[in-house]
Amino acid sequence: MKNNYQGKSIKKLGVVEGEALVTTDLVAFWGGTDWETGIIVEAGHEAKGKNMAGKILVFPAGKGGAGDTFGWYYLFRSGKAPLALICNRPQNTTLAGALLTDTPMIYGFGEEIEKVIKTGDIVRVDSDRGIVELK
Amino acid sequence: MRLNQEQQEMLAGKFGRGCQKAMEINIQLAEAQGAEELVRISYAHLMPPDVMFFPYGRQGHWANDMTGELTKDVEHLRVPATIEPKFCQLAVAKTLQFPDDVSKEIGQIQGAATDFYERIGVIPTYSALPFYVRPGRFGEHVSIAESIAILWYNTMFGSRCERDDGVTSLAAAITGYCPLAGAHLQENRYGEVVIRLGKDLDFAKFEDADWDAFSLASSRLCKEKRPVFVGVPKNIGVTELKHLLAVIAVESGLAIMHIEGVTPEAPTLEKAMGGAKPLAEYTVGKKELLEAYQLANTATGNDVDFVLMGCPHLTMKEIRDLAEVLEGKKIHNNVKLVAVTTKLLYEQAKDMGYADAIQKSGAEFTCDMCIAFAGTQVKGTIATNSIKADFFYAGFSAEGKRQVRFGSTKDCARSALTGKWEGKTL
Repeated sequence: MKNNYQGKSIKKLGVVEGEALVTTDLVAFWGGTDWETGIIVEAGHEAKGKNMAGKILVFPAGKGGAGDTFGWYYLFRSGKAPLALICNRPQNTTLAGALLTDTPMIYGFGEEIEKVIKTGDIVRVDSDRGIVELK
Repeated sequence: MRLNQEQQEMLAGKFGRGCQKAMEINIQLAEAQGAEELVRISYAHLMPPDVMFFPYGRQGHWANDMTGELTKDVEHLRVPATIEPKFCQLAVAKTLQFPDDVSKEIGQIQGAATDFYERIGVIPTYSALPFYVRPGRFGEHVSIAESIAILWYNTMFGSRCERDDGVTSLAAAITGYCPLAGAHLQENRYGEVVIRLGKDLDFAKFEDADWDAFSLASSRLCKEKRPVFVGVPKNIGVTELKHLLAVIAVESGLAIMHIEGVTPEAPTLEKAMGGAKPLAEYTVGKKELLEAYQLANTATGNDVDFVLMGCPHLTMKEIRDLAEVLEGKKIHNNVKLVAVTTKLLYEQAKDMGYADAIQKSGAEFTCDMCIAFAGTQVKGTIATNSIKADFFYAGFSAEGKRQVRFGSTKDCARSALTGKWEGKTL
């Protein structure tokens, strides 16, 4: 099994390593996530009750209102944001939120990345080269 | 990235720091998207954080960290612009259980922000439905920050916009440019999957809430893939379209979708798909619709404490439905009803006698505010005719203080009269 996955990095922000929180559902930061705690609160969400604070969040794409960027920003200012974002489809509001807070984000992989990485896996995110490494 | 001379001058600071910062944001976003150039826009719809996003407490002061540098020396925008609803009208803040000191702070932060945007020439629409004031044109590039409006301008008008937010749309309005990426490009506009109604359902028998439930059910099937809806009646009204677009815009994060035979880029299914085969074909039947209703009804008891309506702002048909149920009656002592719309429709509803009928029942009817956000601080069970609002009422807090009942406009109005949920029980 290969360990390196090439995507597109939104900005060169170095390397971070951490534990993955993976969901195959779309994620909303504004309303879908409690910005005071980092917990996913959306009714019916696969990862409801899971905490994204300090994790590497792996998901297919963002969703939510156009205010989703602010949801991310409030989460970040509360110190409850994930360390990095890994997704397939680059929702514009997710990109904008990551840019606003200088959070590493890599998107657009050849495979459905949320089905490759498992929750609890240790992941190395190299935003300079756009590479996600599964440890 | 290719920049023209004007863009280079903006980046060099020739037009001030705000414009320079806006161009920096544009370029960063374009590079993140993989865009090679910026495109000139003809219109923007703004979503300033200090107008709408809980403008009180510590987050009320974070807004300035996001947009302060952008707006400090800006005296005008380069394109006509409209604006999102205010967070809360102070007249209904007490009903929505904001303490007096919080109300005061909302008034200060939100008031200073709206004064600023009006001063630089923003048309004070204060609505997520700016198309009443500034309709889109086919093929024009625009920058819009509001999920239903993004989906509406792309889908209903054939204008081109991405899912911009409060910061990126402001940067676009200040510079007059946005990145040429995403739904601005033809290849990202075609349908990817097909959605049909099951044979056990009939669009002709849909009430307004059924369109919301259908939209949620569709979203759970298509996820982030762009759907083409097939079999929707050609005479579908603005109210029904509002319900259909509002929910899927949030639940799927879509910039564009298509309705065969209704929307301009979908004269036929084949054209909407750009000649490609659908990645999947889905059917929403009675079972899926019921699941959506169950998901949206998080309340367990039958008591209703609040009836909150107008996310997105009530259409004239919804205002009339509300007035018809409430006219000559009084809402229950234990219930607070707040209904909101745009200033344009509010004035017309006054002329038509609907506003009077609603207000005489003891309900509060107002305009220009976001009932979905301002309604999130109440304690008790909320009834609403909007799954988009439902998403926010049931969301935000890990403690789960609020329970929600979801049903049609008339079901919600009847519930306000009795204090009990009068909608479908599933």
